[in-house]
This record gives sequence, structure tokens and C-alpha cells, in this order.
Amino acid sequence: VEFEFDEDQLLLKQAVRETLVRTQGLPEDQLWATYRELGWLEATPVELAIVLEELGYVADPTPFLASATWFAPLAGRLPEGPGTGVFDGTGRYVLDADRAAEVALLTDAGVRVVPGGELATERIGTFDHRLHIAHVTADDLVRGVPELALMGLAVSTVGACRKILDLVVGHVKQRHQFGVPIGSFQAVKHKAADMYVAIERARTLAYYSALTIAEDDPRRTRAAHMAKAAAGECQRVVFANGFQLFGAMGFTWENELQIYLKRVIAGDLLLGTASQHRKAILSDGGTAQADGKTPAEVTA
Amino acid sequence: MRLGDDPEVEKFRADLNTFLDEHLPSAEEATERSTSSAHMPEWTRRWQRTMFDHGWLLPGQPTEYGGRNATLPQVLAHAEELSRRRVYHSFNPQGIGIIAASILSFGTEDQKKKWALPLLRAEITGALGMSEPGAGSDLAGLRTRAVLDGDVFVVNGQKVWTSGAHHADVILTFVRTDPDAPKHKGISVLLIPTDTPGVTRRPFPNMTQPDDVDFNEVFFDNARVPAENLLGEPNKGWAVAGGSLGHERTMLWVSFAERLDDLVRDSPSDGEWYATLQMDLQALRLLGYQQLAGALHGTSNQAEVSVLKLFGSEAVQRGSLHALEEHGEGSLVHPAATAPYTHMMPDTFIAGWFERYARSFPGTIAGGTSEIHRNIIAERILGLPR
Repeated sequence: VEFEFDEDQLLLKQAVRETLVRTQGLPEDQLWATYRELGWLEATPVELAIVLEELGYVADPTPFLASATWFAPLAGRLPEGPGTGVFDGTGRYVLDADRAAEVALLTDAGVRVVPGGELATERIGTFDHRLHIAHVTADDLVRGVPELALMGLAVSTVGACRKILDLVVGHVKQRHQFGVPIGSFQAVKHKAADMYVAIERARTLAYYSALTIAEDDPRRTRAAHMAKAAAGECQRVVFANGFQLFGAMGFTWENELQIYLKRVIAGDLLLGTASQHRKAILSDGGTAQADGKTPAEVTA
Repeated sequence: MRLGDDPEVEKFRADLNTFLDEHLPSAEEATERSTSSAHMPEWTRRWQRTMFDHGWLLPGQPTEYGGRNATLPQVLAHAEELSRRRVYHSFNPQGIGIIAASILSFGTEDQKKKWALPLLRAEITGALGMSEPGAGSDLAGLRTRAVLDGDVFVVNGQKVWTSGAHHADVILTFVRTDPDAPKHKGISVLLIPTDTPGVTRRPFPNMTQPDDVDFNEVFFDNARVPAENLLGEPNKGWAVAGGSLGHERTMLWVSFAERLDDLVRDSPSDGEWYATLQMDLQALRLLGYQQLAGALHGTSNQAEVSVLKLFGSEAVQRGSLHALEEHGEGSLVHPAATAPYTHMMPDTFIAGWFERYARSFPGTIAGGTSEIHRNIIAERILGLPR
């Protein structure tokens, strides 16, 4: 196993970061157009993971994640405009279903792609107020979660966790109490160090999942469950330590920390929490599906 | 980034396995058990010598020192393969991995011949004298004094936790040679033969049972050590500490991965912790490969080693606690066998779950406590103020 980014991947990472700094604060449609123009939607799994980690880092407001990892693996093609997929067998809590131009539905008769406008959707108010979540009403839905969707949520969550850690590190270096930066206290350092370790663990499993998808490896289902479970375990540490270390500032609406705190928990709750994926790892026993391509089954 | 293996590494791995298949001592040969980390029954010496002669002992070294000029990924494959097959390459691991390796890095040609070669050939064994009663986490605060008197150093002071000292022929001893310099800058390293008059070793058992004796206190009372036994430059001992332990630390995660693998094998469960355990093992390996790649290309932050040590040792501890709980009151039984017996690596396999959990604590204490590694991560990776 060679587990490091090659030069092209490092360049991509750099380019994505620079683009996201430059486009910060632009309206969603302009962001969406930029991403499309740069070909991010066409990225292959490991490169897509790089893009998604950085989009997680800025809590991207566009329907990119749903288009690339909910619609595409189901439909077998990229969406024309924003897209999403329904593959949990219920049509409930579907990311971006309220604003998708195309929705891919996994039904007992196979995948059906429907224009978003023709579907009955109902947007749900969510605590993460920037998130678009809707219930979809459709017949004959069946369950079959694509590995790419699990990996995508996992790696985006890791990106948002990284952002929380960066915000916290900045805060504890600058915030003085008792005449010293609070970041010099071991109680603070140790919480921050635990956040870092949790992020490294989750990130490595997220990229491993991307790599197994890219290489169509028989371990891809198990790796996707591991990635999603690890991202969930990671956000628990990062949310609790990050929130705590920010003190009262973190509980304010003005502080951007709240955006990321909300996003990481959403990332765990969507498509099954860490606990559900740990159970899936156990029941799957690590054995691959015959063709290695069957979507991961998640016991709800 | 790719899943496939490097053909050069795989060829190397296959060669190693061919060698092991042919030369690994049988259970019948492994008559006498090693009782400390420097106690080498005759058959273990023969085994280490065989590895040395075939260039499999320290594969990264040149042939004359028991190696084959292997690349870093090959050295990792060597560590992983021995771990996978549950084989010790030496029953005096610190003698090979730290003491001989330090001498090869910092020693004179004479010192390499006189000390490193006999250690590598298992003619003698070694122990590492670093910690003192007053210098544990604050290692640089060590106070054992060495004063040059003509062509000998006169050594006075005390070491503790010196594993295997009572069976060792030589102790790589960190001593203070300049008490006026800042604490990191007044330390030197001496090779002190244990039969030197004035050297007293007092072995003591660990908490698992009274006959498990590896720890030692070592007292130096006007011990006279030839000046030629100075390893590296005077007062530059801290560099030796960093250099010799640094290499060891890069691969240290392999031993934690091995413990995690043991737990996966020995305590199957349908509890969710068992999934977390498997994730920890997978993540530790991937982080290990990632760090190796960084080390190869000179892009790694040395502090990343702390991430692997902290994560690996604590994952083993968490997993061991879960296994202990999983087996309930049955975990009280002692002695108990909870793993298949392996004559080439017999230690922890013949222990009950309680003992295995207890034995996970040296992992989070020795080699820098978890608290010290958290400080290192916070300060040297995240940049928090000291």
C-alpha cells in the first residue's frame, strides 16, 4: 500500500484551497458554476475526496456533495444541474432534494431519474440552518446506500472537523487568562491533541475508502462503513472539545464556529450514525460482495 | 496513492519468508524460556546469529552488520512480517534496536567492533540506562555524574527501570558530564560493562507476578569506566538519545498494530467496540504507511511519531479493557491462556484478560507517557505555546 498523495493530488488540494479562499462569500449559484467549470464534479474518487474535504472545511453551501456522491453513483452519470439520490428505501431526510434539478430514485425496478420539479418534496427545518434536507414521496423505493455517498459525507465531515480544530487553535493561542494564553495550559493542550488524533484517524480511513472505491477493491464496502463510523467518532471528540475550548464565544450566533459544529453532527446523523456503521462492520464481517459493486447495505 | 504493493518490497518479503520457513527454530529447539529482555538462552543466541549471518537481523544495515542495505519500506516490511508471524528477531530487542543501532550511528570503528558486533551476533547483551528516580518524563534532568579522571570516567548515581540490566553485559548509560551547562547540553553517553567494580544491579518484579523480573535499579558507586567507552562527542548525548530512539520510534507503531491484531484474533465479539478495534487497527497501519512515506521524502514532522505512539498505545488499552469486560468474571482467572501459544513470542500470550489489560499500561507510560505525547502534538504540530 502506498498511502500518500502524489504530486498531482497535492497540486489539486492546493488549487481547491486557493479557489475556496478566492470565492469565499460568493452566492451559491456562482460557486456552483465555478466548481462545474473547474471540473470538480468529474473528479475520480480520491481526487473527489480531496475536493470534498476542502468543501467540508468551508461548510460549502452548494448541492455539490449530493450531486457528486448521492446522484452520480446511482444514475451512473453526472447531473445536468444540481442533483441528489434517494437510496435509503424511505425517501426521508434526503440531502438537497428540495433544490435538485434531477433526483435519482433507487426502486425495486432499478434506478429511475426524475426531474426535481415533478417530485413531491417537503423541505425540513433543521438545526443546521444552512443545510437543505427534504422528504421525498415516491413509490417502490428500496435501500442500497452507495459507498461513494458514505465516503463523501465522511470526508466532508473530516474537513469541517479540521476547520473547528483550526478555529480552536487560533482562539486558544490568542485568548489570555491569568496573564498567559490559555493554549499554554495542559488541560487545553490535551483536548486539542485529542481532536488532532481523532481527525487523523478519520481522515486516513476516509481516503482509504476513496481508494478502495477508485480501485474497485473488494474491501470497498467495509472501508466505506469504517470511514463513516470514524467520521462520526471523530466529530464527537471534535464537537465536544472544540465547543468547550471556545468558551462562551462558541455559543454565540456571530461566531462562525456554530456553522461547523452544526455541520459535523449533521454529517454523523445523515446516512446512519457511527453506531449504525459499527454494527454494519460487524455484520458484514469484512467479506466483500460478490461483484464488489453492490451498494453498501446499512441496517437502519 | 494506491493499494497495490511495490514489487521490490514484495520480493524482499518473499525472500524473508523463505528464510524464515527454512531457519525458524522449532518448538522443540525452544527449550528454555527467556526470563528478561536481556536474558538469552543458547537457542535464542543461535537464532539471532542465524539472522545476522543471513542479513536479516537489521536489514537496513550493511552486510557486515547483519543487514542487506534494505530500503525503508523494506525495513518496514521486515518488521511487519516478523510481527505477522509472531517472531522476535532478537530476545534482547533493546540491545539490537537501540544500543547496537546507536553505536553504529555514533560510534568509532573500534567501538563498532568491540561492542556493536558482539551485540548483533548475540555474544553479549545490552540494557539501556536512561531513566532515573528523579528523571522520567524530564529525562534531560538526569543527575548520574561522570567525571573525567585521566583516561577514565568516574561514575556516581542511580538508574531505574533499566530493563534486563541483571542479565546484560553492557549498559548504554546517559550521564551528566557538565553540570554547569543547560540540562540538554551537559549529557554524555557511556558504554558501561556491568562487571565494572562499583556497578550494582538490583532487579525487581513488576506488578503482574513476583517472578516476572525485568526491571532493575542500577547503582554506580565510583565506577571507573575507560574514556574510550564514550559514545559520540562529550556533552552531545542528547543527540544520541534523539538519533537512536528516533529510528526505533518510527517503527514502534508496528508493535501496537500487533497487539491490536492479537485482540481482534483473541476476543471476537458482536459488541460495537469490536468494530472500533478493527478501525483502530486499519487506521494505525495507514497512518504508519503515511508516516513512512513522509520519512522517505523528508516531509514528515518528527512529532507525527507521537500521534502513532499515543493512538496505538491507547487503542490497545481501550481494546484490552473491552475484552476484559467482555469476559466478565472469567477475566479474574490467573494464570490463564487467552491466546494461542507461540514459542517464538511467548510473553503476553499466556496471560489472562486482567493481566493483558494491566500489560497495556507500559505502552502508555514507557517511551514517553501519553501526557507527554499530547504536549508534543499540541506544541510541535498545533503550535500551542509551551
